Amino acid sequence: MADILDIGSRIELISMDPHFLEISIGLYRQGGETPRFLVHSYSSKEGVADRLSFIRQAMVVLGGMVQDGNYLSFVCGSEHHAAVRRTFLEAGKISPEAGLEPRPLSSLDRKSGLTLVVSERGSGLYEVTAEGNEKAKDRRVKVVANGLAKLGEMRLIDGREDQVQYPCEQDHASLTGLLLVRAPNVRAIVREQEMASSRGVLAAPSQQ
Amino acid sequence: MSDVKEMKPRERVLAALNRQPVDRTPTCNPTSLATVELMDLVDAPFPQANRDPELMARLAATGHTELGFDTIMPVFSIIQESSAVGCKIQWEQKDNWPTVKMREPIWESLEDIRVPTDYLLHPDAQCVIEAIKILKRDYGDEVAIIGKTMGPWSLAYHCMGVEPFLLLSLDDPDQTKRILDKLKQITIEFGNAQIEAGADALTLPDHATGDLVSGEYYDRFLRDLHIEFVEKIPIPLILHICGRTVDRMEYIAQTGMSAFHYDSKNKPQESIDITGDRVSLVGNINNPETLFSKGPEAVRDEVINNLEAGIQLIGPECAIPLQTSIENLTVIPETVKEWHKN
Repeated sequence: MADILDIGSRIELISMDPHFLEISIGLYRQGGETPRFLVHSYSSKEGVADRLSFIRQAMVVLGGMVQDGNYLSFVCGSEHHAAVRRTFLEAGKISPEAGLEPRPLSSLDRKSGLTLVVSERGSGLYEVTAEGNEKAKDRRVKVVANGLAKLGEMRLIDGREDQVQYPCEQDHASLTGLLLVRAPNVRAIVREQEMASSRGVLAAPSQQ
Repeated sequence: MSDVKEMKPRERVLAALNRQPVDRTPTCNPTSLATVELMDLVDAPFPQANRDPELMARLAATGHTELGFDTIMPVFSIIQESSAVGCKIQWEQKDNWPTVKMREPIWESLEDIRVPTDYLLHPDAQCVIEAIKILKRDYGDEVAIIGKTMGPWSLAYHCMGVEPFLLLSLDDPDQTKRILDKLKQITIEFGNAQIEAGADALTLPDHATGDLVSGEYYDRFLRDLHIEFVEKIPIPLILHICGRTVDRMEYIAQTGMSAFHYDSKNKPQESIDITGDRVSLVGNINNPETLFSKGPEAVRDEVINNLEAGIQLIGPECAIPLQTSIENLTVIPETVKEWHKN
C-alpha cells in the first residue's frame, strides 16, 4: 500500500531514460523561498541509485548547482525554474560513459558560422558578443540574448540588445554556458517540449 | 455530512452508479490512471502491461493502492478487442499509447466483416479477462473492478478507418446501421466475458465524439443500440464519449446506461441539468490542460466544481496522459474526502 513518496512537486520528467533501462526520472522541487531539488525515480531496478547520482553530478557540473546529500540547489538560493529544468533535461541526455565538463562561455553558431561569446559583467549580468562575419553579428547577438532570456528567465537590459541578467543578480557561469548551447535555437527547444508533452496523451480515434 | 454509514469503495461506487445514497462521493476512473512513474513503481511498463495479465493487474491496482481511487480499471487502452479481431496494432513504447493502424483497415463493407469465432481466446482479449480475474481475487471484496468493452462505432473506426466509415454513414445509412448491428456482438460478448471474470461495471466507449458526430447522429445510429447493451450486459455500464456532448446527453439519459463519462468540454452544471437523476455523471477533470500541465490547486478546483454541481462520481475525463504527476492524481481523492468533511 502507498509506496509513493511525498517528495515535493514534480517540475520536470524524463519519461524514458535513453541511458538506463528506459526508467522514468523526475525532478522534484521542495522547500519554500529557498527551494531545493530532488532527482528521483520510482524504479527499483538495480543500478538506479548510480544513475541518479550521475545525473545529480551532471547538474552540479553543467548547471553550477551545489549538492547537499541527495538535494541540489543554486548557491544564490533562487529557484531559476526554467533553467533548473533545462539543466536536468540536459543532464539526462548525457551517457554515463561520457566525461562531465562545464560548457564554455563560447559556442560556434552553426547557422551563421559566428563564434558566440558570453562575458560575465558581474552581479549576474552577461553580455553577448560574436566573432566572425560582420553582417550577421547584430542579429545573431540579439537572437542569443533573447534565447538566454527565455531559457534562463533572465531579464533583458533596457536599451541593450546584447545584455541579460539573472533576477538573483548573482553570477552563474556554468549555467550560462549550458544555456548558451541552446540559446541560438530556442524554437527547437519549444518543438522538443511540444513533442514531449504530446506523447502519452491518448486521443480519440477520430483525432488519431 | 451524509447519514449513510461508512461504505467500502466497491459499495460506494455501485451505489453511486445506481444513484443510491452514498457515505461520500466516490472517486472513479472509468478509463486509465496509468503513468510512467507508476509503471516504474510496480515494474509493469507499457506496452507489456497491455499484453500480460499479471502486469496489467499490477499496474491497474496502483489506482487504488497508491492513488486512493475507489475503483480499479485495468483496460488501459482502447485496442484490446480490435487486436483480437485482426486489426494491426502499433504497440509503441513505455511512454506512449498503443493504437490501431486505422489507415490499414481490415474491412471495407458489411460483406467483408468476419469476426473470428475464437477472438475471445486471442491473447489480447484474454489478457483483459485474466487481469480482471486477478483483480477480483485480490481486491474484489473491497474495490469496484471496472472492465471495458468498446462500442460498435469505435470498433467500426478501428476496423474500417475513421474517414471511410464516416463517409459511409453519409452515403449509405442503412449499411452503416447493419455494420453497427453486426459489430455489436463483439461489445456484448467481450463485456459478458469480463462479467464472468469478475467485473463490477464496464466502461463502454463509443467514440461518436462531439467533434465529428452530431447529437442527431447519436440518436439515429446509436441510442437504440445502447439501450440494447443495457438489456444484454447485466451490470452497470458507463458510456464514454469524448468532446462536447451536451447535444446528446438527453438521448444518453434515455438509454438506461448507469453513467456517462463526460468530457471537460461540458460544464458540470449544464450537464447535470440535462441528465438529472436518470444517468450518473463521472469525469470532467481536464487531462491536457489541468492534470498534465497545471498543479494540484487547479485539479482541486475542478474536483470541487464537480462536487458542488452534484456530480455523482469524480474522476478524470478520459485516460490520463502517461506523464501526469502522481501529486495531481492523489489530490483528487484527497479533495473529495476534505470536501465531505466540511
